[in-house]
Amino acid sequence: MFRMKLYWTFTKKAFLRSAVYRFDVLSRMGSNLIFLLMWGSIWTALYAGKESADGVTFQAMLTYIVVSQFLSGINGAGTPLWDMQEKVRTGDIALELMRPFDVPLRYLFADFGSVAFYFMFALLPVYILVFLFIDLTLPMSWETWVLFLITAFIGFLIRYCIEMSFSFLSFFLVETGGIVDIFYFAMSLLSGSVIPLWFFPDWLEKLAIYMPFQGIYYIPTSIFIGKITGVEIAFSIATQIFWLLVCYGILRFVWHKASQKVVVQGG
Amino acid sequence: MPIIEVNNINKDFMVAKRETGFLGSVRSLFKREFIKKEAVKDISFSIEKGEMVGYIGPNGAGKSTTIKMLTGILVPSSGTIKVNGIVPYEQRQKNASNIGVVFGQRTQLWWDLPTIESFELLKEIYQVSDARYKQNMEIYQEILGLDEFLNTPVRQLSLGQRMRADIAASLLHDPPILFLDEPTIGLDVVAKEKMRTFIQEINRERKVTVILTTHDMEDIEKLCNRMVLIDHGQKVYDGDISAVKERFGKIRTLVVDVENGEATFDIVGAEVVKREANRVWLQFNRDEISASELIGRITQTHSIKDLTVEEPAIESIISRIYQEGFEEKLVSV
Repeated sequence: MFRMKLYWTFTKKAFLRSAVYRFDVLSRMGSNLIFLLMWGSIWTALYAGKESADGVTFQAMLTYIVVSQFLSGINGAGTPLWDMQEKVRTGDIALELMRPFDVPLRYLFADFGSVAFYFMFALLPVYILVFLFIDLTLPMSWETWVLFLITAFIGFLIRYCIEMSFSFLSFFLVETGGIVDIFYFAMSLLSGSVIPLWFFPDWLEKLAIYMPFQGIYYIPTSIFIGKITGVEIAFSIATQIFWLLVCYGILRFVWHKASQKVVVQGG
Repeated sequence: MPIIEVNNINKDFMVAKRETGFLGSVRSLFKREFIKKEAVKDISFSIEKGEMVGYIGPNGAGKSTTIKMLTGILVPSSGTIKVNGIVPYEQRQKNASNIGVVFGQRTQLWWDLPTIESFELLKEIYQVSDARYKQNMEIYQEILGLDEFLNTPVRQLSLGQRMRADIAASLLHDPPILFLDEPTIGLDVVAKEKMRTFIQEINRERKVTVILTTHDMEDIEKLCNRMVLIDHGQKVYDGDISAVKERFGKIRTLVVDVENGEATFDIVGAEVVKREANRVWLQFNRDEISASELIGRITQTHSIKDLTVEEPAIESIISRIYQEGFEEKLVSV
């Protein structure tokens, strides 16, 4: 039985919890803006006054960076990887095993709460200003907006499943530095968060296309700027859903193995 | 019918063997050897509804491992466990609604939120009805004095307040069984006393079955009638606390204030263990010489201003059992 009211309570409490850490929200917003400035400048320099490259105008490219930075703000507002690993290390997660709820779902719903807070009080106001003061392209049709929101949400879920699976790996490993590096590398490069996939060398683009990470930033952002259109959108969403199911399956498997290990081996 | 039944449980852990030295570390990179560590060996006991049982043993004896098996977080390697008719590790979540757990070393409350928020969350988790929640909160607020800090974030609570909040949190869903893992650790005397009174009260009034692990023997003496003593994963004693005292408590101490603290006592069956100014501590075995006999013998040579007979604290008994083993003591005393 799915107890919506219980998980919704986690969302509410996480929202309140974020309100406690106002400085954290501010500093995170600050660093998000610094990255935006950095990548914006890099792409301005790379375009070097050219109108377009690979069929993408400079304005569209700048919009791509702004939107993907916005999404990375959303994706970074949940329980971070290191925090989950800490919970595994101290045994807090093991204790949650004796509670009558599902642990992966409980953290997902808590993340909804902290993301909602960060979105309402930091990201949304700041990015409205960014769109007002910088000349960027906005989707013309409402359908594009809706598709963007849907793909961004699926992307969020994919990222959650991958990040949680990586956190639960620390049940099996003592030293997790290498795992964390792989995760952040894939997250920043293969997802297309700072360099769109179409600028990749062919082999890398092929590789990235066949991986789940592009569903997090590349697909929603490309839909936003109109780089992915028409039937390609349907194909992209199908790819996202496929990867979401796979990643969810992996998360379930890793969690199952981890909780089994806890109960047999004591964590 | 017992509310908790434990039959011949064992728990083994596989621990990676660490090789020493450079070559050893390189070798263990490729081939790991494991050694079996037996944390709990063939333990059985059963506990009736409403009992308060002290589960004690030195560090690393297997206390927490047993508690974790009872809560369902750990699966025993062999043997059977039933808690309120349920096998804990098979129906972990169902078992959860039957038990309340307090780990003195860690909190189950949400660190950054006001204490009341954690209670509200637990209310949802355990599906406590509004009426029940309100009623329970009123009772706990009164006995535990939660009012003064309900709106304070948990991280700002003192240890005593946190423990009070934690125990109230564990009882919010009216579990028939309560596991307390070192509930008084680190508390000051007053806070300890409050905690004990509360535990006594819920045991008496709600017939909550309590299992308590602790290193504070006063907890055991004041709260429990029965104790289960384990050492190196094995049960060494299970029974009345008074029986333990009876068995091991034959050594008593007579404290006398005499006129001359340097005085010598030459009495068979008693020896001086401590002197302080004019006060002398004499240890004697009740079987060899009775207290009145001893006092009589002393008054023959010295004038006594004041005297007391000290019974052995359970603590010193336990520490002797830890050090010397239970069986040996049975024979030697």
